[in-house]
Amino acid sequence: MPYLYNTPEDQRAMLEAIGAGSIDELFDPIPAYLQLDRPLNLPPALSEMELDQQLRLLASRNRHAGELVCFLGGGCYDHFVPAVVDTIGSRSEFYTSYTPYQAEASQGNLQAVFEYQSLITRLTGMDISNASLYDGASAAAEAVLMATSSTRRFGKVVVPECLHPEYRSTIATYLENLETEVVTLETPTGVVDPDLLAAAVDEEVAAVVLQQPNFFGCVEDAYRVAEITAAAGSLLISVFDPLSLGILRRPGDYGANIAVAEGHTLGTPMSYGGPFLGIMACDKSLVRRMPGRIAGKTVDRRGNDCYVLTMQTREQHIRREKATSNVCTNQGLFALRATAYLAQLGPQGLRETANLCLQKSHYAAEQLCKLDRFSLAFPVPTFKEFVIRDAENQVAELLSSALDNGFLAGIPLGQWYPQLADCFLVAVTEKRTKAEIDSLVHSLANSETKVTAEV
Amino acid sequence: MKNTRDTQTIFELSRSGRRAARLPACDVPEHNVADLLPAASIAATPPALPELSEPAVIRHFVNLSTQNMSVDTHFYPLGSCTMKYNPKRNERAAAMPAFADLHPYQPAETLQGMLQMLYEMQEMLQEISGLEACSLQPAAGAHGELAALLVAAAYFRDLGESRTKVLVPDNAHGTNPASAAMGGFDAVTLKTTADGFVDLDDLETKLDEHVAVLMITNPSTLGLFEPNMQVIADRVHKVGGLIYLDGANMNAILGVARPGDFGADMQHYNPHKTFSGPHGGGGPGAGPICVTEKLAPYLPTPIVKTLGDQFVLDYDRPKTIGRVRAFFGNVGVLLRAYAYIRTHGPDGLRRVSENAVLNANYLLSRVKHILPVPQGHRCMHEFVASASDLRRDKKISAMDLAKRLLDFGYHAPTVYFPLTVPEAMMIEPTETESKETLDAFAETLFRITEEDADLLHDAPHTTAVSRPDEVRAARQPVLSYPE
Repeated sequence: MPYLYNTPEDQRAMLEAIGAGSIDELFDPIPAYLQLDRPLNLPPALSEMELDQQLRLLASRNRHAGELVCFLGGGCYDHFVPAVVDTIGSRSEFYTSYTPYQAEASQGNLQAVFEYQSLITRLTGMDISNASLYDGASAAAEAVLMATSSTRRFGKVVVPECLHPEYRSTIATYLENLETEVVTLETPTGVVDPDLLAAAVDEEVAAVVLQQPNFFGCVEDAYRVAEITAAAGSLLISVFDPLSLGILRRPGDYGANIAVAEGHTLGTPMSYGGPFLGIMACDKSLVRRMPGRIAGKTVDRRGNDCYVLTMQTREQHIRREKATSNVCTNQGLFALRATAYLAQLGPQGLRETANLCLQKSHYAAEQLCKLDRFSLAFPVPTFKEFVIRDAENQVAELLSSALDNGFLAGIPLGQWYPQLADCFLVAVTEKRTKAEIDSLVHSLANSETKVTAEV
Repeated sequence: MKNTRDTQTIFELSRSGRRAARLPACDVPEHNVADLLPAASIAATPPALPELSEPAVIRHFVNLSTQNMSVDTHFYPLGSCTMKYNPKRNERAAAMPAFADLHPYQPAETLQGMLQMLYEMQEMLQEISGLEACSLQPAAGAHGELAALLVAAAYFRDLGESRTKVLVPDNAHGTNPASAAMGGFDAVTLKTTADGFVDLDDLETKLDEHVAVLMITNPSTLGLFEPNMQVIADRVHKVGGLIYLDGANMNAILGVARPGDFGADMQHYNPHKTFSGPHGGGGPGAGPICVTEKLAPYLPTPIVKTLGDQFVLDYDRPKTIGRVRAFFGNVGVLLRAYAYIRTHGPDGLRRVSENAVLNANYLLSRVKHILPVPQGHRCMHEFVASASDLRRDKKISAMDLAKRLLDFGYHAPTVYFPLTVPEAMMIEPTETESKETLDAFAETLFRITEEDADLLHDAPHTTAVSRPDEVRAARQPVLSYPE
């Protein structure tokens, strides 16, 4: 086996030192009737070369975003990953280490997490960031639990329909065996209606979850939502798009109490949706309720600055069933990648990336809406994605024909919203060129025409 | 050798006007941002990120990386974490664009290779566990625990039974009781005996028709196989409860024993441990769960199924608990695990466990003359030594030993866990270490126990920093660089 050291001679010497006659004897503590009496029914072992061939075979049955032109979004986006991020993420001193339990031997990780937390607080305008969670959806669910426990309002949480459907589903699953009810707020105009929200929010509501920009790409009136939420004494949980903060106001600016996000867009590829990076930041008043690891700066015995995991009395390994969450580890490698990505981008790079997303998506929406059959489902300002309504109600056929032309043209919305069965969601990142957008429009205008994706 | 300038924070290294990234010019007609977005939504300036040149970014993070111990550089016997070698062929596979550049909402026809891999993973994990169904969705072991407990809750709700209790042995990982509480159950602690096994008398007093699940880690956190497993499972099943196996220690029993055969109804895997990770400095991991047939309808959705010769995502699962995260799962981690399992095959996986257990027993045979190992003279994949005699006789604690080991180039074992062993040092060498390394580690440990106590109290002496003031970190928290 490729990763083992022990030779038969080693094994003999080791067994002798142990005082055992055979390796099988070491398994004697497992009663014989519980031991498997046959080999596992698995495919036979592959050499490295055969494995490579097998993986290439599987790979050949996928069509990836470098080959198709990707206009898919919905919480996962084809953003650019600079080479420095891959270089830093490939340092095996980072990726083959673990949670920094021994601070003295983990200053690299700990400082990177401290820098990550610092960048996230600057990005969001919030007081405190943790060291990250699994992904955006589970971070949103954790934020809801944080809100119910800190407000002591276990009655309800308000979730607008324009929050990502899979985030809503995740929140509902987390709450299913608890007493808290999920109140879904209808959003027929594509954004939260202040009057409907005001009617839904009362003293039993722990939190309102606002996605900004929302699942349809629409920019919400976050200040108004924050005001209504605060008036009821509820907490505002903002689900933000990290790259949008190059242009949009930050969750901390409009008064979010907890801010969560899917952070894969900061330097981690789409990877079929995971593993990803759950960002979470909050008001300082909520820090003792925060789930997950937190790194802090302190001094060592010689008086040097150093970093350590801290505020651990919140956590499962100390508090067990009384912990704020069962979360054990963070997504260290992707927090590192996000740190490197933001360091590489800087403030201007972030602003320009956000602006390219904004401009290109508006151009794409404009061009698509020049076609008679298409209109914007929600004619409100959007950031990098938008919902197209097809007057001919042929979304499946349209997307399938675009795929034949090399485009992942959009996400059909009928799977989550029956009333939007004639709509699809289109995302345009900074990577998409004018030529690609024009080709997409051309392809959708005339599905007979074959268009080659720009390489 | 220490590079202090470039391990300043990125905020200290920042200089106004420096730039690393240059974006392409906007190639579509550009509008004023104010014409596209409501004025109130627009930030006047971008967030105050640091401004660095590209070489500065690289030098900074590469220097930081050298301040870590890692599996690729050091022996890392961190008990219960299975810090084995992380094969490079797996890393290369996961980076292939045909896996890394896939969008989760692509049509299934463009994902047949990915879905096939995931389908085969479901099947292989079921076979290794001896259970009938699998969800690859959970993002980590603790996430798998929560998902499985919610599956159990849905199952009992469906049966019309009100079961509120989850039993957890006192030596279990903290995530077990935390997951139970998060899932809406009352976590009830089960005593263990001096030998480290579930106390059957205590089990008897706590077992009733309100028990939903007993969570058991087997082999346990003490590295012991529970000898009464069958009795425990039978008793729990008799009152209608379920057995959850915390699969943290699967590295000991691959191809040797299967949780489904020894009474488990549900289990999670830690592919970042058992199937070679990597651990990523804390994550990402993954936490796929396997369950028996009767629990299958409640698993998170979607799962991969076959339809003719195609692989498709099955969302049509009316009894599902729903989702515990967005998208399919941590497929990048699962792909590495797939590569690992395919590299080993059935015999190879058994060899992994045999050598993990051999290495642990060998190291135990050497360490027990230095530090007592309270729970027996044999173990599975790890063992827990105690420094309590040393503490009493020489005022040397497990923490002192751990810190001093760093000076000799060894990552420390897990210390002060499980809580049932005083001055615990939980040592898991894994199968990817040599006899020479284990010998040298044992000799070093011996040498350290002979050292002057004061030297140990001040250890480590050779790392970039000495012991951090943790009290200050918690009482006067500095959690970000000041703006």
